[in-house]
Amino acid sequence: MNVFRAILWKDLLTEWRRRERVLSMLVFTLLLVVIFHFALPGGAGPANRAAAPGLLWAATLFASILGLGRSLSPELENDALSGLALVPGDRGYVLLGKATATWLILLAVEGVLAGLFLALFEISIGARAGALLAVLGLGTGGIASIGTLLASLSSRSRFGEVLLPLLLFPLLVPILIAAADATAAILAGDPPSSGSVRLLVVIDVVYLVVSFVSFEYVLEE
Amino acid sequence: MSPTARPSALRAVRVEKRFGHVPALRGVDLELRPGALVAILGPNGAGKTTVLRVLAGLVRPSAGRVEFPGAPRDRRLARAHVGYVGHATFLYPALTARENLVFAARLHGVADPARRAGELLVEEGLEAVADRPAGTFSRGMAQRLALARGRVHDPAFLLLDEPWSGLDPRWAARLGERLAELRQAGRGLAVVTHDVGRAAEVADSFVLLSGGRVAATLPGPSEPEALEAVLRESAAA
Repeated sequence: MNVFRAILWKDLLTEWRRRERVLSMLVFTLLLVVIFHFALPGGAGPANRAAAPGLLWAATLFASILGLGRSLSPELENDALSGLALVPGDRGYVLLGKATATWLILLAVEGVLAGLFLALFEISIGARAGALLAVLGLGTGGIASIGTLLASLSSRSRFGEVLLPLLLFPLLVPILIAAADATAAILAGDPPSSGSVRLLVVIDVVYLVVSFVSFEYVLEE
Repeated sequence: MSPTARPSALRAVRVEKRFGHVPALRGVDLELRPGALVAILGPNGAGKTTVLRVLAGLVRPSAGRVEFPGAPRDRRLARAHVGYVGHATFLYPALTARENLVFAARLHGVADPARRAGELLVEEGLEAVADRPAGTFSRGMAQRLALARGRVHDPAFLLLDEPWSGLDPRWAARLGERLAELRQAGRGLAVVTHDVGRAAEVADSFVLLSGGRVAATLPGPSEPEALEAVLRESAAA
């Protein structure tokens, strides 16, 4: 757990000082919202409102790819990734620390993104904000764990920037389906279906375990 | 056996490594013992850095094995006994020198990371710049910080790849003294270098690599001229 805490502290401190990931993701999501605003002619009409959950999660996935692509950049300067490979014990705790930092950063950006979407589609959720945050957290959990693993794998490849989305998008489809379904229910004023929430929890656990175990070998040449 | 029991040696046994179809190491045997310093010499592409990275657990051998006699068999735990200073510094430019060392100490479970970081900063003469971001450091200062980082957990075996790189004469001499102190304290050391003169000053045995093989092993102190001659012979062969 020392390793987990150390990595989490280092990643958040580095991000606080550089603001590299947060700023690029925020600018990107802002642009996406502006594009959606002009691309959807009906404004906040019923048809567009129905599409809002899917669009929110599509935007989330694109922003996540951007953030994950940069999550390893501090590790690539000065080959610090090799320094992390020297940790005694399970290297999975390195992944856990990095994925948790990414999860927190993505969640902060998604909070802003969700606020913009709600304003764009003139949707008021009031007391359901907590439920929306929980669904965002669950959906982002899977993205952060498997995304950190694949970002590490692709970081040493010449084609890393192309490889990451190619590997990641197919694995994110189940998250997209379940999270968009749960979000649609919340935006419509209903509780999210237990099936969607359960699916998100199962995906989070499976992706986290697979990533934790595999990371031991990802850090070796 | 306690998980923290210090190993009696660090040993590469018939280690081979291929990168794709390119062989980098071909059956290398090498042993580091506590209190001894082995200099690994050889021309470019001989496999010096690869063998060091295999010993550190950064590169998985294609065949053969790395042993830590006397330590737990689990190589994940055995990593606690190895320190590695490579070509790259492993430093985070956005963190200060002190934060870099505290971070490394925390990774290795050092009991009091702040105190250990303070000690090392003094030893490396970096206390005046301890709270400056590492990204603002000169090459030599970054190298000194990297050397401190490599031994933050006081490893039983310290592996150093071109450790004099970027150091001015004063700090290069200081590094030689530090290596002697570490040997006296019972640490096993391996140094990869092209600087035969420095290797002759600090090492008590020499391994000459050529084409991924051990071309010669010279026990005991050697004169730089004798080492140069063996190096030329092995390169010609």
